[in-house]
Amino acid sequence: MLKQTIAVTLLNLRSIPQRWGMSLATVLSIALVVGVLLGFMAMASGFRATVDGAGADDVAVMLRGGAMAEMNSVVERNDVRLLEVAPGIAADESGEPIISAELFVVVDGIKRTSQTRANLALRGVGLSGPELRPQFSLVEGRMFEPGTAELVVGESVLREFDGFALGETIRLGSNEWTVVGVFSTGGSVFDSEIWADLGVIQNLYDRGSSVQTVRARLTSVEALEALQEYVENEPRLNLEVLSERAYFARSAGGTTNLIMFLGWPLAFAMAIGALAGAWNAMYASVDARTRELATLRAIGFGGFPAFVAAMAEALVLAFAGGLIGAVATFLLFDGVSASTLGSGFTQVVFAFAVTPDAVISGVILALIVGFLGGFVPALRAARIPLLAVHSD
Amino acid sequence: MNDATLIRKNLFRKRLRAILLMVSILIAFLIFGVLGALQNAFTMGSGTAAQERLVTVNRINFTVALPYAYWGRIEQVEGVRNAAPASWFGGYYQEPQNFVQSFAVDPATYLEAYPTEIVLPPEERAAFLEGRTCALVGRALANQYDWSTGDRIPLNSNIWQNTDGSQTWELDICGVFDDTEGTYPTNYLMLHYEYFNESLAFGRDSFHWITINTEDPALNDQVSGEIDALFANSSAETSTTTEAAFNEAFMEQFGNIGLILTWVIGAAFATILMIVGTTMVMAVNERTREIAVLKTLGFTAPRIFRMVLWESLLLSFLGGLIGLGLATLAATAASSALAGFLPSFGLSLTNIVTALALMAALGLVTGILPAYNAMQVRISEALGKI
Repeated sequence: MLKQTIAVTLLNLRSIPQRWGMSLATVLSIALVVGVLLGFMAMASGFRATVDGAGADDVAVMLRGGAMAEMNSVVERNDVRLLEVAPGIAADESGEPIISAELFVVVDGIKRTSQTRANLALRGVGLSGPELRPQFSLVEGRMFEPGTAELVVGESVLREFDGFALGETIRLGSNEWTVVGVFSTGGSVFDSEIWADLGVIQNLYDRGSSVQTVRARLTSVEALEALQEYVENEPRLNLEVLSERAYFARSAGGTTNLIMFLGWPLAFAMAIGALAGAWNAMYASVDARTRELATLRAIGFGGFPAFVAAMAEALVLAFAGGLIGAVATFLLFDGVSASTLGSGFTQVVFAFAVTPDAVISGVILALIVGFLGGFVPALRAARIPLLAVHSD
Repeated sequence: MNDATLIRKNLFRKRLRAILLMVSILIAFLIFGVLGALQNAFTMGSGTAAQERLVTVNRINFTVALPYAYWGRIEQVEGVRNAAPASWFGGYYQEPQNFVQSFAVDPATYLEAYPTEIVLPPEERAAFLEGRTCALVGRALANQYDWSTGDRIPLNSNIWQNTDGSQTWELDICGVFDDTEGTYPTNYLMLHYEYFNESLAFGRDSFHWITINTEDPALNDQVSGEIDALFANSSAETSTTTEAAFNEAFMEQFGNIGLILTWVIGAAFATILMIVGTTMVMAVNERTREIAVLKTLGFTAPRIFRMVLWESLLLSFLGGLIGLGLATLAATAASSALAGFLPSFGLSLTNIVTALALMAALGLVTGILPAYNAMQVRISEALGKI
């Protein structure tokens, strides 16, 4: 039985080139289905990795209650004073709390790909700003001097937007700024931002002494609760306190879900189309070998080997399609830089990431298409009557 | 038996195969229709009327405010017929997740800016202009939250603070506006700028953008240049573009959606082109002897060529029309579910014409090779090989 099965299967697989037209169409159509699915998954996981990846558990983010996003938040100077003495916040060597009050303004940049204006985050930070991003490093140039109109720009901004090269002067509104450095935070969402001195931005944007968010290093992950409790019980504060990870996860959710919401149904719909193709190809394959299969039956082969052989052919074609789709998507899209409007209402630059998980889902989808497409034709192959030897 | 019957019988001689092919064609056109509807929803607001309106925003970014006094100065610019200032309200209803797109506007100038787009019964229009706490709600938004004229709703802002310490403005819904046949979004709410401004705890006397109707679209370049020159080198410089360009740039911020959709549709069509193409070649090859018989009976080569071509066209249109029909149903169902988020999710006439052209093209491309093969069949060879 096993010998028979192997023999018929090999016979089948070796004869694929005889039916190359239909077989190739099946392989390529499955490859396209997998390609579409992986393209969307690469977009979603790339975006999620950028937005979600940077979130630390031991950093607290504080926004005005109900603001949801940094752009809408306002935190007064007095609130910041109250937070400086809050429990759960870590202190540096000199005993000062590690806390960063930040201002978040949206400015226009020109996107390289479309040459249209797009929202960029201009963040006013103090010297403790980099301290709260452990992966912060200057790639080029130097940090801005406090009190001057100097900027440092994130790597991703440099990549996706015009006019931010080191040493260039930029006009934002009626003010001239000079780029003195390029920084990296290891591919996180901050790489899509521009940073400048907090005081200068407060002045230029007429914000007085108010800021928009406060970030603080916690003594431990558990200290978040103590801080939340303090803020809740302090009537002068109307703030929302959450861990940076939770904050980023909330920001990433909407866009990632939207992408997946579009990607999976599309891939499924296309898979049904490809299924019809695979089904056709397998029918053609079985039809073409009707006499051959009947002859095998006549000389004592069972129906089961014929079934397995046809299934194997379908699965091999599907697997090849899945693999071609995955490799092509990887070569075409992996690492491709793109940017979209994040929940902070500013551009988030991210890189498409074709993950192993996605490749596995893609190949599984391909095999399902192959299995369903091959099943009925394979049954037919197993049931070919002996008399079909005489068919024309 | 005439040619039409023969074509139909030929197409369905292997019923399962014909149905499978129709399903794959159907899927491709379903994808085409639904994604086309999605793209329409995204590119809305760049129509011809939008080409004729101008929008002035802060040069830094449209989220940065402009001083109130700019309104009066812009109205004085020669060629400006109407100037309507507006502010982002950042509204939500009850819970922060219930986002309500809402603007604080100067009622009279705002309605004047969209004379044909905003459709409103005269008595509701008058009520809105009169009532200080009035709000005008778009049909899609009203349906989403089940609001109707006469309701009083608390609208929260995630940007602004009321002088009473809350972030809530009490609004009376004085009217629900419609659009003219899906040409204008009705997924937003407008409230009186005066009512909003007087109770602001901070950021008073400023607005975010101003919509301008000029006396003649030909004056647009001149007017926008003049406005921007007026505020050059001030603390708040302006940028004035057509509304269409402004909307397009905003949509572009989400990424090149058009390109992504084109890729997906392209992939779907490449798939069916291969499947249908190869199957048609195979189907005609199987019939070589029959075709030889037809030729023997006196069918001319061009007649056979046409018959095969009609067969693939019939297949393409059967699958395509059903797919397009399903897409229309899906778009109609989705448009009510997505009304607040993506207004006017639906197929346009252009989509349908393009789809019909694609069906014809698909039928011709997949039919031409097998039709040619059929035409070339030689009676002696075909009947000779047994």
